[in-house]
Amino acid sequence: MDVSDRVLDHLRHVSALPDLTGTRYDLECEIGRGGMGVVYRARDRQLGRVVALKVFDPALAGEAQVIAQIEHPGIVPIYDSGALPDGRAFYAMKLVTGARLDRYVAGTVSLAERLRIVRRIGEAVGFAHRRGVIHRDLKPQNVMVGEFGEVYVMDWGVAAVAGTPGFRAPEACLDSRSDIYAMGALVQFILPQSSPPALRAIAAKAMSAEPSKRYSDAAAMLADIDRFQEGLAVEAWAEPLWHRLERFGSRNAVLLWLLGAYAAVKFAIFFLRNL
Amino acid sequence: MNKILVGLIFGVVLGALDGATAWFYPETRPVLGGIMVGSSIKGMVVGLLSGWFARKVRSIKWGIVAGASLGLLFAYIVAVMDASSGKSHYLEIMAPGFVVGGIVGFLTQHMGNPPVNGRAETRIDVGSL
Amino acid sequence: MDPDTAIGGPHGQFPSTRVSLLEAVSAGVPNEALERVAGLYWKPVYRFVRRKFGLNNEDAKDLTQSFFASAIERDFFGRFDAAKASFRSYLRMAVERFAAGQYTAARRQKRGGGIEFEPLEEESAAGESAEQLFEREWQRQLFALALDDLRVYCDESGKSLQFQVFETYDLAADARPSYAAVAAQYGVAETSVTNYLAWARRLLRGFVAERLRGVTSGERELGEEMRRLWT
Repeated sequence: MDVSDRVLDHLRHVSALPDLTGTRYDLECEIGRGGMGVVYRARDRQLGRVVALKVFDPALAGEAQVIAQIEHPGIVPIYDSGALPDGRAFYAMKLVTGARLDRYVAGTVSLAERLRIVRRIGEAVGFAHRRGVIHRDLKPQNVMVGEFGEVYVMDWGVAAVAGTPGFRAPEACLDSRSDIYAMGALVQFILPQSSPPALRAIAAKAMSAEPSKRYSDAAAMLADIDRFQEGLAVEAWAEPLWHRLERFGSRNAVLLWLLGAYAAVKFAIFFLRNL
Repeated sequence: MNKILVGLIFGVVLGALDGATAWFYPETRPVLGGIMVGSSIKGMVVGLLSGWFARKVRSIKWGIVAGASLGLLFAYIVAVMDASSGKSHYLEIMAPGFVVGGIVGFLTQHMGNPPVNGRAETRIDVGSL
Repeated sequence: MDPDTAIGGPHGQFPSTRVSLLEAVSAGVPNEALERVAGLYWKPVYRFVRRKFGLNNEDAKDLTQSFFASAIERDFFGRFDAAKASFRSYLRMAVERFAAGQYTAARRQKRGGGIEFEPLEEESAAGESAEQLFEREWQRQLFALALDDLRVYCDESGKSLQFQVFETYDLAADARPSYAAVAAQYGVAETSVTNYLAWARRLLRGFVAERLRGVTSGERELGEEMRRLWT
């Protein structure tokens, strides 16, 4: 039996579709491919709602199981899990409607909004780290920004993936500091072309080749970003004096203007009277 | 430290300093002490009222406006009192008094603790001030 | 389709055991393993050498035939190292080495003059390299064999109707009919069409996996090839 190109592609596609008989889900369509498997859109017949169904080889599950036990606003909640007749396994989870981060920041997004997203990512990552879960493949393609502005970090703990060039830390054995490296790469990715040197320095510190030179945890990195946003000195950057003065000036702009006005008034009166 | 106290302290201190600048006018040096006392009292009153205002209204812009207005008003009173004894120094007294009032108004908005129940009665967004 | 490829290794034979390639070889039955490999790889190798070396039909057939015929003499299976590459890659590289060796011998026989066989790396109109062509033909043959397996299985277990529904929809050469049209054609409900298709596709996947298992070194390579197939 000869198989044309068209039929071959079709067969490859349909034979990969998960057979959901025996589950309470009806398959709708494929929505994407993550590090661990393929994600489909499906309908939960019982609850009458749409979910995301991640179908994968159970042997590759890695730490993904552990993430199901964690609840955090930045981590997609898992509703259900099970096995399929063909040996694959699945998770049913919340279907996130929104944009992937790399597409989201391609539009016009303010710096404040970008930093807000970084903060949400950092909070989720820090939370997971404290519970012993490492992401290992953090990158813009694994972050979703929902329609209400909520930020989700997805595709956790995939053991088999070698990481993504540009976001994968240089060390062989990945741990929480490798996630910090990836966060630095993410900040670098997310920042607009002309971004303040303090932010670039924060990203660079997180991406130090030597793990011990990076931030000790996500919270430390976020704290530095906080300091930047409040106009304080940033740990990662040794700022030149003129910049320090500039920062002082902008933080205390109003007061400096008022004092300047006072001095101007005094001088003006003095010279007027002595003309 | 609550805002009224902030207003009080800065009002007195800045009033005293403002009064001290009269030293640059040699003819006032004999009565410099009196000028400084008067200026301090003026500053204290402006500071107290600004602090009270800051408890009611949270807005840097309006705090400066209120402080400056109060500063102008009381500086005017002082200038009138001063004028009754001869030469008039309206400009020298009112102009700096206006600006110092604005500074005190700013400081009472920026510093000090708001009322205990946490909310001011009115709150106005500052914008890019 | 192409009468040139009518001569092939024995195919359409459902592997009777579920042993992997290396298991078959180490159990001392290299011939059986070779049959499985040839069954799947004959056409892909043929197309590959035609494209890569610019051979005509006869020369390509001869080369392919001699490659497989001499595989056991050359200890083809024994030299395969599963840790280094997939069997598919290993086989393709072995074909390239074998072909290069043949040309060197042929050139030595000719004394100057004559036509030199230069490896041609020209891309097809679709921009496919010889390597991509090889992989595509391999996928094509894999599915073709699995489809044969499915047909045989359905015939033998009285599920001819299911296979026909599957054939009408999933194997349609042009525009696929709607579920309703298929249901009407066979006098069944639309939900039955959905069920038959799901069943047949699941079985097809299983047969593809079985065929793959027969030409891979073990579960790990099988898993990787399966993932690669469906990316």
